[in-house]
Amino acid sequence: MATLKIEGLSKTYPNGVKALDNVSIEIGNGMFGLLGPNGAGKSSLMRTLATLQEADEGSAFLNDIDILNNPEELRKTLGYLPQEFGVYPRITAKQLLDHIAILKGISNKSERKELVDFLLQKVNLFNERNKSVKGFSGGMKQRVGIAQALIGNPQLIIVDEPTAGLDPGERNRFHNLLADVGNEVIVILSTHIVDDVRELCTNMAIMSGGKIVYHGHPQSALDQLKGKVWQCSIDRDQMQEYKANYTVISDKMVTGKPQLHVLSDEKPSAAFNEVAPNLEDVFFTKTQIQQTA
Amino acid sequence: MFKEIFFLEVKGALRQPMIYIFMFIMALMVFGAVSSDNVIIGGTVGNVHKNAPHIVATYTLILTLLSLLIAAAFFNNAALRDHTNQFNEILFSTPLRKFDYFFGRFFGAWVLSTIPLLGIYIGFVLATTIAPAAGWLDPERLGPIYFNAFVSSYLIFVLPNMFVAGAIIFALANKWKNTIVSFMGALGLIIIYSISGTLLSDIDNQTIGSLLDTFGIRTYFIDTKYFTPIEKNTVIPSLSGLVLWNRLTWIMIGGATISLSYWSFSFKSKNEKVKKLKQNEHDEKSVVKTDLMPRVTQSIDRHSFWNQFNSFFKTSFLSVVKNPTFKILFLFSLVLYIVTLASGFEYYGLKSFPVTYKMVDSINDAAGLFVIIILVFFSGEIIWRDRLHHINEVIDATPHLSISSLLGKVLALVSVVSILHFLLIMLGIGYQAVNGYTHFEFDVYIFSFLLDNLPTYIAWSAVLVFFQVVINQRYIAYFVSILFIFMIDILWAIFDVQSNMVSIGSTPLQMYSDMNGFGDAVMGSIWFNAYWVLLGFVLLAISALLWTRGKVSLMKERLAIASRSLNSGSGYAFFGLLILWLACAGFVYYNTQILNPYTTTDERELLQLEYEQSYKKYEAMPIPKITDVDYTIDIFPTDRRVDAKAAITLVNLSGEEINEIHFTTDKRWNMEISIPNAELTFKDDNDLYRIYTLSEPFMDGENMNIQINSHYHSKGFENAVDNTSIAANGTFINNMDILPTIGYNDRFELDNKNDRRSYGLSPKARMPKLEYPCGKACDINYLTDGRADWVNVHTTISTSADQLAIAPGSLKKEWQKDGRNFYEYELDHPSQNFYSFMSANYEVKRKTWNGIDIEVYYNAAHDDNVEMMLNAVQRSLEYYTENFGPYFHKQARIIEFPRYASFAQAFPGTMPYSEAIGFIADMRDGDGNNIVDAVVAHEMAHQWWAHQEMSAKMQGGTMLTESFSEYSSLMVMKKESTPMKMREFLKYNHERYLRGRSQETDGELPLYKVENQGHIHYGKGSLILYALQDYIGEDSVNAALKEFLEQTRYKGPPYATSMDFLTILEPKVPDSLHYLINDWFKEITLYDYRLKEATYSQREDGKYDINLGVEAYKVVADSMGNETQMTPNEWVYIGLFADEDEEELIMEKKVKFDSDNLSFTLVSNRLPAKAAIDPRRILIERVYDDNIKTISEKAP
Repeated sequence: MATLKIEGLSKTYPNGVKALDNVSIEIGNGMFGLLGPNGAGKSSLMRTLATLQEADEGSAFLNDIDILNNPEELRKTLGYLPQEFGVYPRITAKQLLDHIAILKGISNKSERKELVDFLLQKVNLFNERNKSVKGFSGGMKQRVGIAQALIGNPQLIIVDEPTAGLDPGERNRFHNLLADVGNEVIVILSTHIVDDVRELCTNMAIMSGGKIVYHGHPQSALDQLKGKVWQCSIDRDQMQEYKANYTVISDKMVTGKPQLHVLSDEKPSAAFNEVAPNLEDVFFTKTQIQQTA
Repeated sequence: MFKEIFFLEVKGALRQPMIYIFMFIMALMVFGAVSSDNVIIGGTVGNVHKNAPHIVATYTLILTLLSLLIAAAFFNNAALRDHTNQFNEILFSTPLRKFDYFFGRFFGAWVLSTIPLLGIYIGFVLATTIAPAAGWLDPERLGPIYFNAFVSSYLIFVLPNMFVAGAIIFALANKWKNTIVSFMGALGLIIIYSISGTLLSDIDNQTIGSLLDTFGIRTYFIDTKYFTPIEKNTVIPSLSGLVLWNRLTWIMIGGATISLSYWSFSFKSKNEKVKKLKQNEHDEKSVVKTDLMPRVTQSIDRHSFWNQFNSFFKTSFLSVVKNPTFKILFLFSLVLYIVTLASGFEYYGLKSFPVTYKMVDSINDAAGLFVIIILVFFSGEIIWRDRLHHINEVIDATPHLSISSLLGKVLALVSVVSILHFLLIMLGIGYQAVNGYTHFEFDVYIFSFLLDNLPTYIAWSAVLVFFQVVINQRYIAYFVSILFIFMIDILWAIFDVQSNMVSIGSTPLQMYSDMNGFGDAVMGSIWFNAYWVLLGFVLLAISALLWTRGKVSLMKERLAIASRSLNSGSGYAFFGLLILWLACAGFVYYNTQILNPYTTTDERELLQLEYEQSYKKYEAMPIPKITDVDYTIDIFPTDRRVDAKAAITLVNLSGEEINEIHFTTDKRWNMEISIPNAELTFKDDNDLYRIYTLSEPFMDGENMNIQINSHYHSKGFENAVDNTSIAANGTFINNMDILPTIGYNDRFELDNKNDRRSYGLSPKARMPKLEYPCGKACDINYLTDGRADWVNVHTTISTSADQLAIAPGSLKKEWQKDGRNFYEYELDHPSQNFYSFMSANYEVKRKTWNGIDIEVYYNAAHDDNVEMMLNAVQRSLEYYTENFGPYFHKQARIIEFPRYASFAQAFPGTMPYSEAIGFIADMRDGDGNNIVDAVVAHEMAHQWWAHQEMSAKMQGGTMLTESFSEYSSLMVMKKESTPMKMREFLKYNHERYLRGRSQETDGELPLYKVENQGHIHYGKGSLILYALQDYIGEDSVNAALKEFLEQTRYKGPPYATSMDFLTILEPKVPDSLHYLINDWFKEITLYDYRLKEATYSQREDGKYDINLGVEAYKVVADSMGNETQMTPNEWVYIGLFADEDEEELIMEKKVKFDSDNLSFTLVSNRLPAKAAIDPRRILIERVYDDNIKTISEKAP
């Protein structure tokens, strides 16, 4: 049972942006979802955990590995798929994975070959193994990305916005892959897509403005909102009025008309119907309230 | 629309930094070249102003060539930008006219490509204003700024060159839509340029060659090659003559190319490449699918380190060799080298054998620039590759050590340039094989690579990677790298730091010599190489510590990370390497600075200054002369040690009593001087000057014996081999090295006019003025400076068992003792106090002629021309003894010495001859100029002219030695040659004189006042004496020489002057030709003849009347190059050639030219092909081509 323990992590960029603001959290085995809007500090946190960025204050430990002061140790047991996973030109999938396997310290040639072949099959790219990765589609590239993150039995796997830009089919395949490995190790999945978390994660946190604004089980988050989310369809010109009078969680267009979700302990007016809260409501509630607070 | 497209193109690029960077580099280079003598663009400047119009044009032309790559970038970009951005489909569907689009882009790029070159003019203006004000340059070396030189060089060269280059590149880009092809086009242009150079190197083809020159560079140089300094300082480049034709030709070619391209250009992209999908040929059967992750062992240890290093190396290496830019550069360098090889190694129209050291030199030349370009560019490429392709975070988060990545990358860089180097070596070996030279020395190639190139490549790769890592901004790092490469050596030169320890990759390694192998600094070079390679590793260790992994950019953070790692393995590695490097540096420093201190250029100048200021006052003091020397010299070749003892007899002939004897000494030779009854009363700190005071005066007419012992001992290794004349195999020292000079020696003074001025000294005369009749000034000759007249020399010399030692005179005795060879030599006749001592492992070939031993001492590998040399010595002896008088030595020796110097020199009875000339000339074809004969005959002639007759130290002196020798040599050659072959040889003497006078620094002097200037005493002197024997007869000239020799042979003071000779010559010249003495010897006369018309008509008796129309001028030049045109009044040959190739001269007639326009009729039995004025080219003319014309039928 591995534990990732983060305490009081802070980071301010030279331009004054506070990317991490006293972040503390403890994460155990299993899939962990990190939700947050763009700019919330997810990637800063991910990079810090992946030893790719220094923190100003705080500590982060994976079991007894001090991530901030002993990054070399962590790297031995880390799988990382960054937000932007690019590939070299003129190199095949097999060559690329082999190279990374060597860098991860797998020195035995036949073991490496077996592992690379296994991973290529696992991510369903075995038949493409001798083609240039540069020519792969976005989904295929992401699969190469997850394959490389799995090399070397990592205890901690960090995947940053992995499904952005994938079509639904690719996304499903990707989720299945993650779910496969997610039980015995810590997998941190950072995303701004709520469905990713709903489908995969047993635990989650929501970040906003460099802070953790929610941490817990997705279901308990939903429970907290039970009976408090109301929905109604309005005309466009009514928007200002509604926004002024109610705590609007979200608005989206449904069949050409804005549909509002409003947070309220009681039914706000006759026009509203109670709806079962979804994670999106949680996300918007947590992040917007955080911002307005 | 044209306007919009055009301005869009221009403005777009003006917003990018590239154009300004290039402009800045151009300006910087020119600024450096003008304001410092250490920066050189395309050859030296001499007496010409450093901002003269000729220099403006020269720099513009040379930098145009450099900017070809800039042009390729702009034009390729203009043609392909929309295509690569896939904007073409949007753009081409708009109602845009093809003409506007096509030419808007083209002309935009054209203008842009010329903008960086404006930096040249900025550089000139800045240097002219700043350099003199800052005291970097003497204001006298600058003239006014000629703005119209800027304008005209821009209009004549820059614009058309960029037009032609641009048209071709633009057309290629439009056709092939491929950057590689565009750059190959630029390469094609360079090839044409090089081919025109090859054609030009044989100076017959100058006209074709200069038309073929794409950029008009050589065209301009041919047009101006005989320009005098005044012309270079004032004449603005103009569109005329060859330059005009060249420009027109290439503008037309450019215009045709761009029109053709326009005509075939279409908005529809029909060239869309259909990418072939690579089929997976053998799809391996999938291994049984299992859900269980295979077990792997993962560890970070030494084994994984090597694996990682290896994997980084492989991926980086492949990324470089697969890179199109690399392929372009690679092909560029190979093709350029092939072109270089194709032009051969020529000298006087004669090729030399492609000996390995020539190949190694040419490979280093060819590789140099490309290696640096590849290293600069790809150091950035491979360092930034991960970040560029957004895979850096994945790689950075793996547990590899940063140093394994950097080492792998540096090894990749070193490997690609090494591969390039080895391919060049293969080409070189191929060239040797093709030329039938089968003495392959693979070891020389390999060791020279290991000693000279590989460590340099490693050091540079590490330095450039270090810049990229530490600066952490790719383009700024490029900029710093380039600046560093250009400026580092200049900066050190400015600060007068000459240690090889500060110039990346430098070592004291000497050039390879067949005689002395890699030379005497191999050990030192190995230490220097260790120093450089270790420095490379230290820099890499620092780079690894500062290498950013992930998102780290602040130096503060990077330093924090680095200091955290200092405690780990990479930190220890760093300290370990640093200590090793410092130890190595310390050892090198100790050897090169403390054990063997050296004098830098500035220090040397200061010493010279101090010498002149402190001791010039002693110049007029009476000095004794040397009459006899008995040497005992022990040479220890492998230790590079020489111990010499000289017992010297002095005589006082000064007419005064001498109370002090002064010596100018050389610190490097530890000199012990013992004089009876004398005391050392002065010795300066630098051991430059000593004064011995005699207790009793040395009376006039008396003799005195003194003893001088001097020792040269080498210790450790030096910064650069200071004394190449003492070598492990090929020691070549002369008496002036071993012995101090008696009295003050004005040869040690600063002589460069500009140096003297900067130290506040007045200019130094090159030679004392010619005096006639001559008094005391003629008492000294220019070789021994009044310190001796004719001396007797006896030598006992010893060397190691495997070597043979040679001293002047006949070998009297030879023996072995203590495993060393001993020889005793003695001069057969008193000679000039100027002779050499040599020792090497020699082969000897001998023959005798009339009791004289003819001997060639040579290196075993250089036996090809030895027989020819023996014959040349014999033929010289035959001609000279018959025509001039007896030979007084019992031997004539030619002795080979290493190529650290490339000359041949005549000492009494001995002629040291460099291995670089003659010994390796390829004479197999037998048709070319026989340079071996020529040099041997010249040096043999010195046995009469310099070693029997000697001239006074004043103007005209070298006419009596060098010109006479060169003339004698021509006479020996002429005996075995034909008139037309002689013309082929003489053209190089014409060239030598005309080129030399155009680079004259102080104003030209007539032959009889020559001041030891090669182009006059060899070039002009030989031509004039050759023409003279043609006009008044060989016998008459030789009679004059013989009579002159009889008056002067082995005679002491007063020595002869050129006027003494002219006095003897004059009566031998018939009255009708008397003008020659004046025109040829006493004035500077050039002829300017032109054959305007040459027609024939057949006569009734079957013969042909050949009618010639001639335009003729005589030009008299003054010392500044101002020329006055005059009407001729002289005798000139006109003649007819049977064939177009001018091989058969069927008729020649001497006629009088006495007006500007003349016509002549010759009668010939057969129809000639060509007519010529001066068909054998014996008169000096700047333009000879127009003397010859193909004969056409006369219009009825």
